[in-house]
Amino acid sequence: MAGFWIYGEWAEDDFHPVVYELLGVARTLAPRLGQRVVVVTLGPEDRKTGVEKVLSYGAEEVLFLVHPELDYFRDDLFGRLLGDMVRERRPEVFLFGATSEGQALAPRIAGELGLGLTAHCTAFEVDEEGRLVQIRPSFGENIMAKIVSRTRPQMATVRPGVFPKAEPGEPRGRVEEIKLAALPPSALVRRAVRPLPRVENPLTRARVVVAGGRGLQSKENFAQLFELAELLSGAVGATRPVCHLGWISEEHMIGVSGVSVAPKLYLGFGISGALQHTVGIQGAETVVAINIDPEAPLMKQADIAVVGDARRILPALIRRIREIKEGKNGSGS
Amino acid sequence: MHLIVCLKPVPKPGTVRVDPKTHTLKRDSAQLILNPPDLYALEMAVELKETYGGKVTALMMGPPNAAELLREAYALGADEMVLLSDRAFAGSDTLATSYVLSRGIKRLEPYDLVLMGKASIDGETAQVGPETAAWLGLPSVIQVKKIQREGDHGWVVVRVREGYEEELFLSGPAVVTVEPGINDPRPPSLKRLLAVRELAPRLFSAQDLECEPEKLGLSGSPTQVLDVFAPSYQREQILLTGEPEEVAQELVSHLRTRGLI
Ligand SMILES: Cc1cc2nc3c(=O)[nH]c(=O)nc-3n(C[C@H](O)[C@H](O)[C@H](O)COP(=O)(O)OP(=O)(O)OC[C@H]3O[C@@H](n4cnc5c(N)ncnc54)[C@H](O)[C@@H]3O)c2cc1C
Ligand SMILES: Cc1cc2nc3c(=O)[nH]c(=O)nc-3n(C[C@H](O)[C@H](O)[C@H](O)COP(=O)(O)OP(=O)(O)OC[C@H]3O[C@@H](n4cnc5c(N)ncnc54)[C@H](O)[C@@H]3O)c2cc1C
Repeated sequence: MAGFWIYGEWAEDDFHPVVYELLGVARTLAPRLGQRVVVVTLGPEDRKTGVEKVLSYGAEEVLFLVHPELDYFRDDLFGRLLGDMVRERRPEVFLFGATSEGQALAPRIAGELGLGLTAHCTAFEVDEEGRLVQIRPSFGENIMAKIVSRTRPQMATVRPGVFPKAEPGEPRGRVEEIKLAALPPSALVRRAVRPLPRVENPLTRARVVVAGGRGLQSKENFAQLFELAELLSGAVGATRPVCHLGWISEEHMIGVSGVSVAPKLYLGFGISGALQHTVGIQGAETVVAINIDPEAPLMKQADIAVVGDARRILPALIRRIREIKEGKNGSGS
Repeated sequence: MHLIVCLKPVPKPGTVRVDPKTHTLKRDSAQLILNPPDLYALEMAVELKETYGGKVTALMMGPPNAAELLREAYALGADEMVLLSDRAFAGSDTLATSYVLSRGIKRLEPYDLVLMGKASIDGETAQVGPETAAWLGLPSVIQVKKIQREGDHGWVVVRVREGYEEELFLSGPAVVTVEPGINDPRPPSLKRLLAVRELAPRLFSAQDLECEPEKLGLSGSPTQVLDVFAPSYQREQILLTGEPEEVAQELVSHLRTRGLI
């Protein structure tokens, strides 16, 4: 049977975005592992047409467990049902988004079946032995760890926003519907759902991210980032220390403790480039670093490394871009 | 009411060493502290005790010198201290760790609720809570911000999801992980600090817990660290140096060429 499985977390009327990101991962890895890409999802019958959508994004099959009472996530119930499916079909790989749902579910399955589970992977490889090598940052140090699982399926979680979404194409494959006659018992009943004040974070979708670190030296210097962001129709990001210094609120934090961004352009002013920060900018297309220290890690991994005092380069950049936008000297340099 | 709080000893940030041979953490070299997110779980347990009566047991798997951290937990409101310690536990991944914790929790029966932190600050997997629940055959709820008794064995819990919170009824004993920042952990009590000087944690070994040896340590850990490495990046690396005005101008023209601004 086997298969490269992805957990199909459902969010209102479509799969959670991370499912499409995992499909992008699966598209390159599954053929190398000789596996079919399968999205496994649970829900009531009326989701039938909705769940077909992933067949246009690289899923070769959707395994759809159907019961009217699967309309919301229950940790113990979903864990039990998926655990049973894993026992029966023996997939080779099972990936989960590290959302609140995926992080509740994946370890339950791992615990029930005695499986290895690698958390928050930021890259994958396939080795000569055909194993899935799971790569994750680790331990407050600037190091990455390569991890393999001795058990099958090889299970891992991936944070949303780390990988790009799969591109749509011609649909293929089909939905296999498994109608469940009865459900195992659950200790959980949903009583209510209350929306939290909406914190739509513009960072995660921004085309341009202007980020600042401790090298900007003061809140006043840091505040100039907002001017630049506005000029470039971008969003402002930050490192953890400057959030803790109170230069900006924590929603702007990029990295393992904050958000991941995937802009076309990322500019980092006075940021050293600790791994905890840079895992969050892995998806950035062009990285520019501005730092007095040419040896800073972020400078080493930037497309364009600008050596100099960020406190002076930032206003110079704002002036220059404003001139261009206002049409003066519009032909560039 | 018996509340069990799992507290992880973690290396103080900056003092970690990785064993170059096994690629596991060398905990003996590091200075240990209580995992900061676990303090919210401890505070929640102590508040539950104050509301409903009963006792709080602080449970830790760790090396013998972690006993000092359990005394700290006592000063913060725990009533009993239990340390699970054995050389056989070394090198555990989350599955092996949660197995040992589940054996320890079994020894502490009967109990009403097991509370954990959301994640550790070192391994940071957030997996130990739900895995422990699975070993025990109990329900689990992660990222809990409120919990209240309902009926004799039930709980009403509120958990945080992306963009919303969810209220659930939960029957029977369970494992919950506590969302950081949802309460104000109290400072240590002087009276308790003095009292705990006379006390020592109860100590359980693998044998005391009747653990199956193949489920422990490296052999009980299905995840295997192959290698640790410093990340490398392939970018094209243009280096700009000069006066601020100059480099700003150069940067802008590079970005315009690429259609980025
Ligand atoms: C468990 C854990 C989780 C973490 N999570 C995150 C996270 O999510 N996000 C995050 O960002 N961090 C996180 N961190 C912190 C992270 O390890 C780094 O400490 C942090 O990213 C460094 O921030 P920084 O670059 O602003 O500061 P620093 O490392 O102090 O770097 C400042 C840089 O500015 C340069 N500089 C100084 N003066 C100037 C100047 N005038 N002009 C230009 N450059 C200048 C310096 O050369 C230096 O490179 C975490 C740490 C831990 C232990
Ligand atoms: C480089 C490297 C990467 C690793 N990556 C993984 C991985 O991806 N998957 C994996 O399975 N293991 C991994 N490990 C092993 C993992 O870090 C340890 O097993 C760790 O002891 C438990 O996981 P955690 O710190 O992530 O706990 P978390 O699941 O983040 O902790 C959640 C809560 O569980 C409780 N808890 C955890 N440990 C204890 C304890 N010892 N005593 C009492 N309570 C506790 C605490 O309440 C804590 O807040 C890795 C190890 C290395 C060396």
